[in-house]
Amino acid sequence: MRKSSAVTKIAVQADSPKLNYKEKDRGCTAMAGEEAAGQNKGFKLLGILDVQRTPCAREAILHGAGGSVAAGMLYFLATSRVRRSFDVGFAGFMLTTLGSWFYCRINNAKLRVQQRVIQEGMRNKVIYEGTVLDPTNKPNADAPPGPP
Amino acid sequence: MAHPSQLGFQDAASPVMEELLHFHDHTLMIVFLISTLVLYIIVAMVTTKLTNKFILDSQEIEIIWTLLPAMILILIALPSLRILYLMDEINDPHLTIKAMGHQWYWSYEYTDYEDLGFDSYMVPTQDLTPGQFRLLETDHRMVIPVDSPIRVLVSADDVLHSWAVPSLGIKMDAVPGRLNQTAFITSRPGVFYGQCSEICGANHSFMPIVVEAVPLEHFENWSSLMLEDA
Repeated sequence: MRKSSAVTKIAVQADSPKLNYKEKDRGCTAMAGEEAAGQNKGFKLLGILDVQRTPCAREAILHGAGGSVAAGMLYFLATSRVRRSFDVGFAGFMLTTLGSWFYCRINNAKLRVQQRVIQEGMRNKVIYEGTVLDPTNKPNADAPPGPP
Repeated sequence: MAHPSQLGFQDAASPVMEELLHFHDHTLMIVFLISTLVLYIIVAMVTTKLTNKFILDSQEIEIIWTLLPAMILILIALPSLRILYLMDEINDPHLTIKAMGHQWYWSYEYTDYEDLGFDSYMVPTQDLTPGQFRLLETDHRMVIPVDSPIRVLVSADDVLHSWAVPSLGIKMDAVPGRLNQTAFITSRPGVFYGQCSEICGANHSFMPIVVEAVPLEHFENWSSLMLEDA
């Protein structure tokens, strides 16, 4: 145990009220039993892509499947070529999945940016409300000028 | 902390880790599509009855399989570099903490305003109370204020260690005689666990890191209590 004249090891009382906070708000952690009850194993495509937990993944794969079936069926109805229809269907899957994925991700990114702006605005509102820096304060012509 | 048999990342507790999670999802989808394409091509090759013994070259397909991987790599590299530079930003930290690695515990020093320091030892398994996590709990946690930029200076007293907290997206080597700097902001209150990430001897697996993010008022109360008890 390291000791020095300036820095001293300190024993903290376990039942100190200021430390009880950690028992109420554990953020991402939880008691061991609670975790096991709430978790269900996600479904992973090819063993790597968890479509349940990855945002936009489920929608992208479903759109891709639909696009694949539609493209393949249409090509087959037009040409009656089975093998080529599978190829067209697969190409449709790739393009539809990619398109749906990036469209969803871009929208999510925009939402996240808006979320951050709103959070920052709420934080600033609490800090600046009632002061001269409050952006919602309209300047009053009759009010005396502020200090120089 | 991670739940049993977890393979993926832990939930993000800092903006940088959120960005890393989104980048991981983006890259994983690209990897998934490439794997699907390769699998389809293999099945097609194996099941076709067509053969061509005299093919020499094909300009079209060679252009495709040159340009397509280049575009994919650019699509992966641009967000990656963005996050790389984002992780190096240091935005006027409110607090600087020194984390020193020892064999086999961490010590933390808060010396911005007063001399406050303490050691952080793992709680042995036989001393755990119900609900505590095995091999992860410590007797003293590194308490920080939530939503405040924190700078951590990491070093070591004896051998190499590494200060890592996965949910904050942080891993920094603790090198004797060298100060490594990292910074983070916790976006929510909570308790975040990590473990030493550089082999450092017999008890390398038994020197965990616990970061507790609390509101500023709680942090001030905690630090006052720590200083009073000194």
